[in-house]
Amino acid sequence: MTTVPAPAVREPAWELPRSAIGLWTVESAISTVILWLGAGAFLLFVPASAGGPVPVLRWVLPIAAALHTVVAVGIRPWVKHRVYRWEITAEAAYTRTGWLTQTWTLVPISRIQTVDVTRGVLQQMFGLATVAVLTASSQGTVRIWHLEHGMAQRVADDLARRAELVRDQAT
Amino acid sequence: MTPPLVAPGIRRTSSRIVLVHTVTFKQARQLVPILIPIVAGFGFGGGLTTIALMAVGITVLSLAAAALSWWRFSYADGPSSVVITRGLLSRSVRTVPNDRIRGVEVEAPLLHRLFGLVRVRVDAAAGAAGEDEEVVVDGVSRAEGDRLRVAVLTHRGTPADEPSPEPVEEELSRWDNRWLLYAPLVGSYLALPAAALGALSRVLDDVPGDPVGDLFDVELPAAAWAVAAGVVGGALLLLVAGSVIGAAIVNWGFRLTRRGSSLVAVRGLFTRRHTELEIDRVRGVSVSEGLGMRLVGAGRATALVTGLADAARRGQLLPLGPRDEAWSLASLLVADPGPLRAHPAAARRRRIIRALVTGLAVTAGGLVLGARTGHWELAIAGAVVTVLGVLLARSLYAALGHAAGPRSFSVRRGWLVREQIVLERRAVIGWQVRQSWFQRRAGLATVTACVGAGSGGYAAVDMAAAETPSFTAAASGSWARALDPANQR
Repeated sequence: MTTVPAPAVREPAWELPRSAIGLWTVESAISTVILWLGAGAFLLFVPASAGGPVPVLRWVLPIAAALHTVVAVGIRPWVKHRVYRWEITAEAAYTRTGWLTQTWTLVPISRIQTVDVTRGVLQQMFGLATVAVLTASSQGTVRIWHLEHGMAQRVADDLARRAELVRDQAT
Repeated sequence: MTPPLVAPGIRRTSSRIVLVHTVTFKQARQLVPILIPIVAGFGFGGGLTTIALMAVGITVLSLAAAALSWWRFSYADGPSSVVITRGLLSRSVRTVPNDRIRGVEVEAPLLHRLFGLVRVRVDAAAGAAGEDEEVVVDGVSRAEGDRLRVAVLTHRGTPADEPSPEPVEEELSRWDNRWLLYAPLVGSYLALPAAALGALSRVLDDVPGDPVGDLFDVELPAAAWAVAAGVVGGALLLLVAGSVIGAAIVNWGFRLTRRGSSLVAVRGLFTRRHTELEIDRVRGVSVSEGLGMRLVGAGRATALVTGLADAARRGQLLPLGPRDEAWSLASLLVADPGPLRAHPAAARRRRIIRALVTGLAVTAGGLVLGARTGHWELAIAGAVVTVLGVLLARSLYAALGHAAGPRSFSVRRGWLVREQIVLERRAVIGWQVRQSWFQRRAGLATVTACVGAGSGGYAAVDMAAAETPSFTAAASGSWARALDPANQR
């Protein structure tokens, strides 16, 4: 096997707070519980004699659910914490997101239209917030996930103020 | 004829529009859901008299509705905004500031033309605006329509009362009727007669008996084959003729001119459309060629304009024509970034592997099925899919390319419809670089330029990951250097 080449582009300088791992773990745990409820309902209510692929599914489903649990709760939050990074440079907002498929997004401050700070229910429990930087393009949105709330507010204020100063046509 | 002034600056639409709307049931259409239960209640028992009475009643109703909405509608184009007043019981007054107006479209459907009227659409879309955002003044005379268009557009640009010189008009492209011959090779025009045939077949379904079945039942086998061949040949002929006629109806007399700082496109046989675009808002051009169009060297060109609602239709520079014509129009608006660079061999490998995996999976499934049941059709289909898939993968790869020039850049992709986008450097309002696990191993990346025009983003699929920083820096401002790994802090 060939060695993995260096990443395409620079990685953003700053990492997310450790509490983001806790948030991702809780999110995964919730989705896992729902998955197990579904699998349990299948095992309970679909009789094994139902023919077709059902006998195989009765084995495959719990194994798949168990695998998903291990990956989603035990591995993914930590991988995500290594992948998710962000940076505000002199000219641009820059993030990396994803885990298997990774996405880098760079938006110059001069093209920013609005900056939003949102706090989901789970995020509030962990004192986190998301900064969304919107532009005139539907695809050119930078989301900085899970910053500490005070930090998110400061970043948003700073970006909005600088966008005001350097704004050109913005489209 | 200038419309009567109700009050200073406030104008009414022409009263002739009442007739147009009566005939088309424009307002009365909304009453249909209410009428159906009433009609159902009384039933059709009365025979011809009832039907005649109902026809008269509906027409009178339609006339009344059209007259009411005409009576309550007025508009005013002031120096700073356009104001539309309407509504029967709840009056609505909409004020559109002139600096938010992105374009004005004058269209003349067939019935409007018979009455010498036009419909003026004022496009004031603000980003994610819906249908409601559009302001329509329906039913003014042609002269008033032109006056309104010019008034709205000049109020917006120059300060009031400045005598603007008569703008110079320059013809950029003119429709050539020979271009209609391309129509049968274009999917969207072929779809026109197909849709019509579909509607016809639903009518045939209602005909008692089975006319199509009857055709085949009675004749001798040889004659039946001849009939079948005739039917298929006739259908094909209809399809070809229909697509040509459809293209002619939409594009007849197409003409693209530059007037001052705007592009003006006029087209249509029955409904004449008059669309105006500001050149300053054009950020790029898309030249697309479908599979059939590539065989004969045809193409279409569309301008990518910021803040334009319904941009796919309004941005059309060349709806259908020779590829060279499309490209010469494109290069008038955006600088040519130079020849495209092919993507690395790993991109071709990725496509071929994808085709092989699906093709071989089907084949393997077919072999298992064949061994168990003796039906080998699926295995054969799988083998065919594999071979075709590999050929398709090679064409998909051949379509990929990107280039960055001094003032613009370009990306190309697609097989069924191959689309090449040329964008100005200033169009880019962000970059998105995407790498899946497989792309990271193969040293590839999909680089999307986010723009505030067209579909919002255009991607160079599977370009060499190592080229990403230099491409993004060359294709946009200095801020893109933040992506360069050499700047790692």
